[in-house]
Amino acid sequence: MKINSVVEAVNLEKKFRGFELSIPKLQIPKGFATALIGENGAGKTTLLNLLTGIRLDFKGEVSYFDGKEKLSGGGVQERIGYTGPSSFFLPHWNAGQVAEISELLFSNFHRDRFEAICEELSIPVKERKNVKELSDGNKMKLMLATVLARDTELLILDEPASPLDPLMRDKLCDIIREYLEQGNGGRSVFFSTHNIADMENVTDYAIILEHGNIVEEGFVEDLKEKYLLVKGESGDAEAAGKILFTMSKSSYGFEGICLADQLDRLTGMDISVETPTLSQISVAVMKVNTSLKLGR
Amino acid sequence: MKLLQNSGVPIYQQIAEQMRTDILAGKLKEGDYLPSIRGLAKDLKISVITTMKAYEQLEAEGLVTAAQGKGFYVNAQDSEMLKEQHMRRVEEALTEAIRAAKIAGMTDLELQETLTALQKLS
Repeated sequence: MKINSVVEAVNLEKKFRGFELSIPKLQIPKGFATALIGENGAGKTTLLNLLTGIRLDFKGEVSYFDGKEKLSGGGVQERIGYTGPSSFFLPHWNAGQVAEISELLFSNFHRDRFEAICEELSIPVKERKNVKELSDGNKMKLMLATVLARDTELLILDEPASPLDPLMRDKLCDIIREYLEQGNGGRSVFFSTHNIADMENVTDYAIILEHGNIVEEGFVEDLKEKYLLVKGESGDAEAAGKILFTMSKSSYGFEGICLADQLDRLTGMDISVETPTLSQISVAVMKVNTSLKLGR
Repeated sequence: MKLLQNSGVPIYQQIAEQMRTDILAGKLKEGDYLPSIRGLAKDLKISVITTMKAYEQLEAEGLVTAAQGKGFYVNAQDSEMLKEQHMRRVEEALTEAIRAAKIAGMTDLELQETLTALQKLS
């Protein structure tokens, strides 16, 4: 299976005081939904800001659409839709003005589609409310409506699920799947999230970021084969603790994530093995890297 | 298609199993295209990669072929191979039955009698 990249970056580096983002190589697969996972302060937003051109003061090279395009080349912005972690519209605009600005900024903005999406997502447009009067959820929906009303090939969404209620998160997953389907392999979505469980059934590729570094990445189905969820009796906990990636103990037994190729080292113990969820894998990977950083 | 999230059987295997059954039963015929990967993902509310993995498994089994840019179509099913596939499933089910019988402490004769009785029923 040959997979092209929609975004490629090499030797990305950005330093702040006490924080350094350093990514030697980044490839976001084309035709899929990729999740950027990491705890607060891991550098998710910084990375998205570098990729979208919000920050230009960094080292490294970023290219788009099979390595053919650069942001500075112009025209690429037309093909990318971006939503931020909080509203980037001026607070005194109403939805109609947001649409007018979008029409001015992008040649591929469809006003009729925008209005249909606003209705579908039940954004209160008719009340002519200002952006600042909208709830956080409605602000996010309004940003989504402006990017979905355009003909794009890549969506970059910074924490789109966070301000949304459970129903709307489910709807967001539907929207992403529909977007990918309509592109028939030509459209991609890259989003950051810490609601891994809510987004699990729409994530094809996962990139886990910790302290500015990619600590794990891969297609979710491959990650689910790489790691196993192991449960066992408390008598074996100590021995298993040396082999498992992460482990939690109670008086009833232990549970932890183990690398699949290490499973044979647990032979002889009374254990049961399950396929972990993406959320369990991510938490395990994050825990391990955090404890390394703390020098435990 | 019914998918169970918490059955312990990976989703991609459940999809592959359903498709396999449909192909072996002749519901999906030679030359028929499977639903598009992203279309099926949308309809089943699952990720694209999960559907893709299911289709790749069917391809590895020789049941379907990937056509560049057009999706997956059902191969001509060799009747010998079909029979073999069915026999493999019978063997798997019987092995499972034997295992259960052992746990229950049934004798070989009792097991055989159960089989005969069930055959009469169906």
